Amino acid sequence: MEDRFSRRSVLSGTAALLAAGPALAQKSTLTAGEVLSRMRGQIGTEWREGGVDRIIAGSADMPVRGIATTMMATFDALKAAAAQNLNLIITHEPTYWSHQDRLDQLQDDPLYQRKLRYIQDHQLIVYHFHDHWHAKQPVDGINYGMARKMGWTSYRDAATPRLYRIPPATLGDLMRAFQAKLKDRTLRAVGDPALPVSKVMTSWGNCSSFPGIPFLDGEADILVIGEAQDWDLISYAQDLVAAGRKKGLIVLGHVLSEQWGMDFCADWLKGFVKEVPVRFLPLIEPYWNPARPVFEINTKI
Amino acid sequence: MADQPVTLAQRTADFRALPPHSGPIMALQFITRILDKTGAPNRGKTIDHVSAGDPTTAITGIATMALASMEGLKRAAAAGRNLILSYDPPFWSGNDDLDRIEGNSLFLEKRDFIRAHNLVCFNLHDHWRDRAPDGVAVGMAKALGWTQYQADAGNPAMLHLPPTSLESLARDLQSQLDDPTIRVVGDPKLEVRSVGAMWGTADQMPAIKLLNSAVDVVITGYAREWEAVEYAQDMIANGQKKGLILLGEVASVDLGMKYCAEWISSFITEVPIEFIGSGKAYWSVG
Repeated sequence: MEDRFSRRSVLSGTAALLAAGPALAQKSTLTAGEVLSRMRGQIGTEWREGGVDRIIAGSADMPVRGIATTMMATFDALKAAAAQNLNLIITHEPTYWSHQDRLDQLQDDPLYQRKLRYIQDHQLIVYHFHDHWHAKQPVDGINYGMARKMGWTSYRDAATPRLYRIPPATLGDLMRAFQAKLKDRTLRAVGDPALPVSKVMTSWGNCSSFPGIPFLDGEADILVIGEAQDWDLISYAQDLVAAGRKKGLIVLGHVLSEQWGMDFCADWLKGFVKEVPVRFLPLIEPYWNPARPVFEINTKI
Repeated sequence: MADQPVTLAQRTADFRALPPHSGPIMALQFITRILDKTGAPNRGKTIDHVSAGDPTTAITGIATMALASMEGLKRAAAAGRNLILSYDPPFWSGNDDLDRIEGNSLFLEKRDFIRAHNLVCFNLHDHWRDRAPDGVAVGMAKALGWTQYQADAGNPAMLHLPPTSLESLARDLQSQLDDPTIRVVGDPKLEVRSVGAMWGTADQMPAIKLLNSAVDVVITGYAREWEAVEYAQDMIANGQKKGLILLGEVASVDLGMKYCAEWISSFITEVPIEFIGSGKAYWSVG
């Protein structure tokens, strides 16, 4: 593929740049396109067109002052990035409120226009990095980052990278572990809190009935997901438990279930982008419940 | 030799007046009566259909419920209510797509339970929503004591409440709907007067339109985190005074299906009719 950098050319390019000294590195005219080319070269899998991964705002020729990785390009995330002078936003989830970032019905939407103007005013480039980060070899980048956050990397099953063999715990113990590690106020579970758990299947992010049903029917004691529709996978888990199967489901919330995968993404980028700062911007949990009312959204522009 | 032709009048005279029908009534007859009574126009494509059971089954009682869960079906069977009218279907997909679950052991178990107890499951979703006014919205407003707050008589989903805060509203909903896993986006201190309800599920564009209308808060069952939830957060980050409450699908339509049982009782008197809870899927940690 013509725009694909080999690992060697990326490394030698970086080395040449560093050899030129810090003055040049600081005055870097690193473009967004150059960063994206290096990402293609490093992902370890074939780059495929046709998914959702693309530049959502800004353009490839724009200079990069710094890189922010984040779970979702919320307005809050954009403001945090701009405040830190990080103008290339690598986001796992959409900017414009749909998986495909569809704009056909949003051209006159005042919030779309406001968000776009903010992006333009701050010379931000937003790149949707979803499909390829999941396709990363040897391990899905989100999966690896979440396992790292949970301290589970050594528990991963060799044959099934989504499966973790953890020290014996109960469903209730795991709920408390997720709550503490991910700072998750509104996580929810289906199943008996006393259920013994030693095998955990993970489907970080959204999980539909398929593959969710086979995951729940497999060898794992529980399935951990970010989000599912109540009338498909959730109701299946509810019925499974009602039918006496020893199974459980944990629903963390979409952002909290994946965002440490973008923390790992920042570390990955630092390995081959040395000219500019690279930082992970954690997002707030979108929700609160009446037991813990909080207001964390930054309302200042 | 041909018989003497019998006139229609002669033939009719041969019949005694029929007694009022007192025999069993089959599921399809009740379903037809209920759908007709909604007055809802037929959608070209609808998910309202018999999703399990034999539609010619003799019906001994009718149960309405939010979700045809295993728990709900067991309660209905135990109570002898074998026509199940549920907002959400028994086989874990919006349209009861069975393609991939044919060999699934839980599918077989649930299907066999339905057969063994002569249950007939009908999705009463589109007609109940398309009824004027929306049956779920009428029932939810009634149950919450909000009927008097309807912004206009024809629309029970737009409400002008006595001034409250987002936090108080969430607490009230949590206790009135017995909803331990309610989730809220926005400033707990947000002043709330005007509420737009999207009971059930909030799809992306309808939710965006409602959030942009003159409501302080949108209440729904479920919205995708990367669609309406992100949009609501972004509006708030843009300084707009908005909130979004997610009740969970079942909690957001349950009392609309309770009202459905009351409504059906007003025109079906041959069998007992009752609302049956679907059970709670979730719990959370304190």
